[in-house]
Amino acid sequence: MGFIEADNLRKQFDPPRGVIAVDGVSFAIEAGEIYSLLGPNGAGKTTVISILSCLLRPTEGDARVGGNSVVHQAAAVKSLIGMVPQDIALYMDLSARENLVFWGKMYGMVGAELNRRVDEVLELIDLKDRQRERVDKYSGGMKRRVNIGVALLHRPQALYLDEPTVGIDPQSRRAILDAILEFRNQGMTILYTTHYMAEAQELSDRIGIMDHGRMIAEGTHEELVRIVGEDAHVQLSVDRNLEALMNVWPTLDGVGTVSAENGKITLLVHDATSTLPYLFETAQREGARITEISVMEPNLEMVFLHLTGRALRD
Amino acid sequence: MRWICALIQKDLLQTYRDKLSLLFTFLLPVVFTMFFGFLFGGVEGSSLPVAVVNQDPSGGTAAQLLKILENSDVVMLVQYDAKEAERAVADNRVAAALIIPRGFSSNTSSQETTSVNIVRNPESSGGRTACSAVRQAVGRVNGGRLAAQTALAALFPGIDPTDDPQRWSRALNAANAAMAKPALSIDLQSSGARAGEIPRGFDMSSPGMLINWILFGLLGSAITMVIERQNGALRRLLTTRVRPWQIIAGKGGAMITMTLAQQVVLIGLGQFAFGVHYLRSPGALALTMITLSVMSAALGLMLATLLRSEAALIAALVIVSMVLAALGGAWFPLEVTGPTFAAIGHLSPAAWVLDALRAIILRGWSVGQILPYLGAAWGYTVVFLGIALWRFRFE
Ligand SMILES: Nc1ncnc2c1ncn2[C@@H]1O[C@H](COP(=O)(O)OP(=O)(O)O)[C@@H](O)[C@H]1O
Ligand SMILES: [Mg+2]
Repeated sequence: MGFIEADNLRKQFDPPRGVIAVDGVSFAIEAGEIYSLLGPNGAGKTTVISILSCLLRPTEGDARVGGNSVVHQAAAVKSLIGMVPQDIALYMDLSARENLVFWGKMYGMVGAELNRRVDEVLELIDLKDRQRERVDKYSGGMKRRVNIGVALLHRPQALYLDEPTVGIDPQSRRAILDAILEFRNQGMTILYTTHYMAEAQELSDRIGIMDHGRMIAEGTHEELVRIVGEDAHVQLSVDRNLEALMNVWPTLDGVGTVSAENGKITLLVHDATSTLPYLFETAQREGARITEISVMEPNLEMVFLHLTGRALRD
Repeated sequence: MRWICALIQKDLLQTYRDKLSLLFTFLLPVVFTMFFGFLFGGVEGSSLPVAVVNQDPSGGTAAQLLKILENSDVVMLVQYDAKEAERAVADNRVAAALIIPRGFSSNTSSQETTSVNIVRNPESSGGRTACSAVRQAVGRVNGGRLAAQTALAALFPGIDPTDDPQRWSRALNAANAAMAKPALSIDLQSSGARAGEIPRGFDMSSPGMLINWILFGLLGSAITMVIERQNGALRRLLTTRVRPWQIIAGKGGAMITMTLAQQVVLIGLGQFAFGVHYLRSPGALALTMITLSVMSAALGLMLATLLRSEAALIAALVIVSMVLAALGGAWFPLEVTGPTFAAIGHLSPAAWVLDALRAIILRGWSVGQILPYLGAAWGYTVVFLGIALWRFRFE
């Protein structure tokens, strides 16, 4: 049994003719796991998170968090989860501390307990020094950290983060990803959405790939990559004798299929490192020169391309 | 309640940070109250200023006449010298000028007829009113003298009543004392405003500008609400333990608190700095203030609900408050516009609250008497609140 379980979720806005944003999505997240929903803009990630936060009622299906239905036991679900929205949902004219105190009160905390917890969270998001400055004076990364801090106040067991690294510098992104790994190590269950393949790959124990409201593939990174096979893609161009090389290369050890398109040759190879020298050698022997070469190890990008025929990035 | 208080506290803190909305809430209304107050003439409430040129400063009769006029609430006496007085009348700075000639008192002690001079602008209704007030006072002085003369003539026939000054002054005092408690009196019950009928000076501008600027008291909260909805904070509140109705109540509460604070400041200034008699009927005043705040908050909630951007909201607040206030008689009295416009003006909720405030200031009406006006305002409140709740969206 997962800590978070989505069972055939479906959401249509403004039925009967509106957009079907989520169309029969099911998945389960174990306690203490980082689970990422990966998909391009408009895939339905935010809608799924909203349903799991009891902000949107599913048109069909249900989901459980810690055994509580998001449709029928919203209050119990809300106390278990912390939700970090995609937008910076804070009060820009208040300081980080004033924001945290206000949101703490909204979670029902008061007095000394509230103050203690605000101090702890400021420590967690590393903003103790600048806690009294107005949020609108902060950098993008600092704002994002306060946005996350608010969701930690009531010590939730699960944390949802909706694209928390959009629009910030690499260093701040690194800090946020490290913090998320740390939360997981302390036992939190994490649901993360992103359209950055690299983030999903680095962070997640398991990944669900979404497109057009559907879950098109799900599993660990290794499992997903196996969908496109374990071969690396080598793409190259030569200055002459293309035909001859097209006949020679398939006979080499470790080379799978070879195809050419617009003067560019694509080879599937088992192990790029050991095969590349032979490619150069044979080319030279045929009196040709490799003018351009790139190697793509199998990754989620390729999985998405393989499953949808489109690139993950717009 | 704890949740609502925390929400109100947060909004007030944000409003306090927003210096611009504080400017609109407190400073501009005071400036405009002064401006319109002077524009509508008369620094002193609703009594008519009358210039007095007393060329008989030591005379007893002159003193008696001035004493009677000072006690009148129709006119207010301002000392001038002869030249200045006429100019003041010509410039409409005073309603009329009363000139008491040299030797006025000693002449009246003898049997000769003497007179005071009144200078007034024949077109001004205030001048007529001031004239009749002076005439009334002169009438009382004359009445006292006639009574004393008649009594002494009856008791001591053939002797000039002023021959024995001591006896004369005793008789005169007795007659004047009797005149102060007349056997026959007129109770004047006016249905409109007192005296000059139309509120003047600060009696006009103070409540008018209060109404005109009241919506700006909730500007901070309303802007916050639009931004909260835009950046998702309103929606995020729904992931906490606070309930939707508490969020709306917190917003309304913050708006009511701010507008009440604004009213306390502006009414306090009106009462103590501008001499407007708000405190004549404290119960009615309190009820009117609450009515005005709740109605404004309902209107503010409605606007912040319907409008989706900060710029649109500010524009709407400015336009709505100016139109409602102008239509409702906050800038100029509806009485001067004739019955048709006055009726149209009462389509504005501001007109009803203004009626209540003026009834308190000018006539000291009680809670029971202003209830019909406030009832109309509550009717509008229900409509505004209904629309706000119906259209309210968290995102
Ligand atoms: N409130 C809404 N009303 C109507 N359509 C919506 C609403 N929210 C999202 N959508 C639509 O639903 C689809 C999924 O959106 P979303 O869940 O935000 O995707 P993602 O977070 O993956 O970018 C999109 O086509 C979007 O336009
Ligand atoms: Mg999204």
